[in-house]
Amino acid sequence: MPPKTSRPDFDALVRRAGLSLTDTQITTIYGAWGYVEQMLERVRTPGRDRAAEPAHIFKPDAFFGGEI
Amino acid sequence: MNTPTIAEASALIAARKLSPVELTKSLLARIEKHDAIYHAFIQITPERALDDAKAAEARIMAGQARGPLDGIPIAHKDIYGTRGIATTAHSKLLAGWVPDADATVATKLAEAGTVMLGKLSTHEFAFGGPSFDLPWPPARNPWNPDHFTSGSSSGTAAAVGAGFILGGTGSDTGGSIRGPAALSGIAGIKPTYGLCSRAGILPLSFSLDHAGPMAWTTQDCAMLLQAMAGYDPADPASANRPVPDFSAGIGQDVKGLRIGVPRHWHETDQRVDPSVQAGIDQAIAVFRDQGAEIVEVVLPSLLDYQAANFIILVCEAFSLHEPWMRTRWNDYGELLRDRMVMGGLMAATDYVQALRRRREICQITADATKGIDLLLSTAAPAEAPRIDSVPKWANVAFPGFTNPCNLLGWPAISVCSGFGPHGLPVSIQIAGKPFQEAKVFQAADAFERATPYRDKRPVLVG
Repeated sequence: MPPKTSRPDFDALVRRAGLSLTDTQITTIYGAWGYVEQMLERVRTPGRDRAAEPAHIFKPDAFFGGEI
Repeated sequence: MNTPTIAEASALIAARKLSPVELTKSLLARIEKHDAIYHAFIQITPERALDDAKAAEARIMAGQARGPLDGIPIAHKDIYGTRGIATTAHSKLLAGWVPDADATVATKLAEAGTVMLGKLSTHEFAFGGPSFDLPWPPARNPWNPDHFTSGSSSGTAAAVGAGFILGGTGSDTGGSIRGPAALSGIAGIKPTYGLCSRAGILPLSFSLDHAGPMAWTTQDCAMLLQAMAGYDPADPASANRPVPDFSAGIGQDVKGLRIGVPRHWHETDQRVDPSVQAGIDQAIAVFRDQGAEIVEVVLPSLLDYQAANFIILVCEAFSLHEPWMRTRWNDYGELLRDRMVMGGLMAATDYVQALRRRREICQITADATKGIDLLLSTAAPAEAPRIDSVPKWANVAFPGFTNPCNLLGWPAISVCSGFGPHGLPVSIQIAGKPFQEAKVFQAADAFERATPYRDKRPVLVG
């Protein structure tokens, strides 16, 4: 599964993550990035309602055992 | 002699026909004899085990037994914090770390009277294996040590399968209880998200992590879960609701239940081995004969569940490993770091889009299963591969059957449904609606009782 991201662009992603990897290490990871790109496309539902909320709910009392 | 099930041992101990001390000594001897081959344990704790066993025996002889788990030998996956006992996550990064507190679930099991035999192998930080570049070797399949156990609760599965322990703890973020249960021929349940506290367990992915039990039978899992479940204010995601009787349906048939079968999962999305298909077909026949209604359902593709689950998992995991990833990259095993780093290469919007997709998938799945009690599929597409031939990128190249219930938060159990062409176990997976563990146990137990697979144990080498 060849990635759509170019190798120079992928190198930039690695640098942005603050990682200092060898060329061999980056090549190994880059080899699987195509699978990840497919997943990143798959979670973007066409025509999704702009107000569709994520599966996260913030509960103001959740971190205090329900008592605050 | 076969290691007894928890239910068998519990009855014998209560009748004072089995001594917890003698049982513990026999298991320690079995571990001593065989674990150099299977590598189920990272650390054996014989002194703690014998202390626990003697205390249990004293209570029982005094008529003060704590309940059905008093005197039952177990062990913990080595991401469960254990006070005064090293907790390594099977990683060089935590080698020698000794927590000053038990995980909540470990405390609950200790309070139930269990005997703690030690700490069990895992994939490093519960993600990425089998790895051969860590301080400890990976666990081996109890049916054939040349084969994989799956993971990440690999040591628990190997130890239960090998009869080293009667039950143990696992954790499941994408299938880490059910996958190794499937390949090792045991039972393992990922309960509903929030049912068991995560407090004191090393996290992998906050919104996908589940703690749960693994044992030889479904009934044993129900007994363990009874002690493990319950509200814990130390876990912000803990469900504040009464704990039901998980064994209520044990020994009953499934008459009247409606069981959905998403055929496209195992026939199209990820085609399974004929031996796995045969297990699913047998389960359908068993349940139908007992009076259940079998209904074909169409759910999102396994690829949809996999995509959202993977993105959320690696983004959350990388966030908590980020400092070490930047400074101690080479101290991680290659498999973990190469898989987990993907989360550091994504954008914040990728994570949020995956969370939005998660909610959509939850809604679609709920709508498609209205009026249905349980879902039947498998936890693994085939029997265990050789441990030296597991593809490095299997988790992204192929969709898993276990991912859906992590994403949904629904309970799901894997139980043995026969054996594949190489004589290794295969599985069915039974999932239920949130907090309906009792129904899941009822059906899995009914299948086990109607089939002969619990009567066959692996023959150990070494």
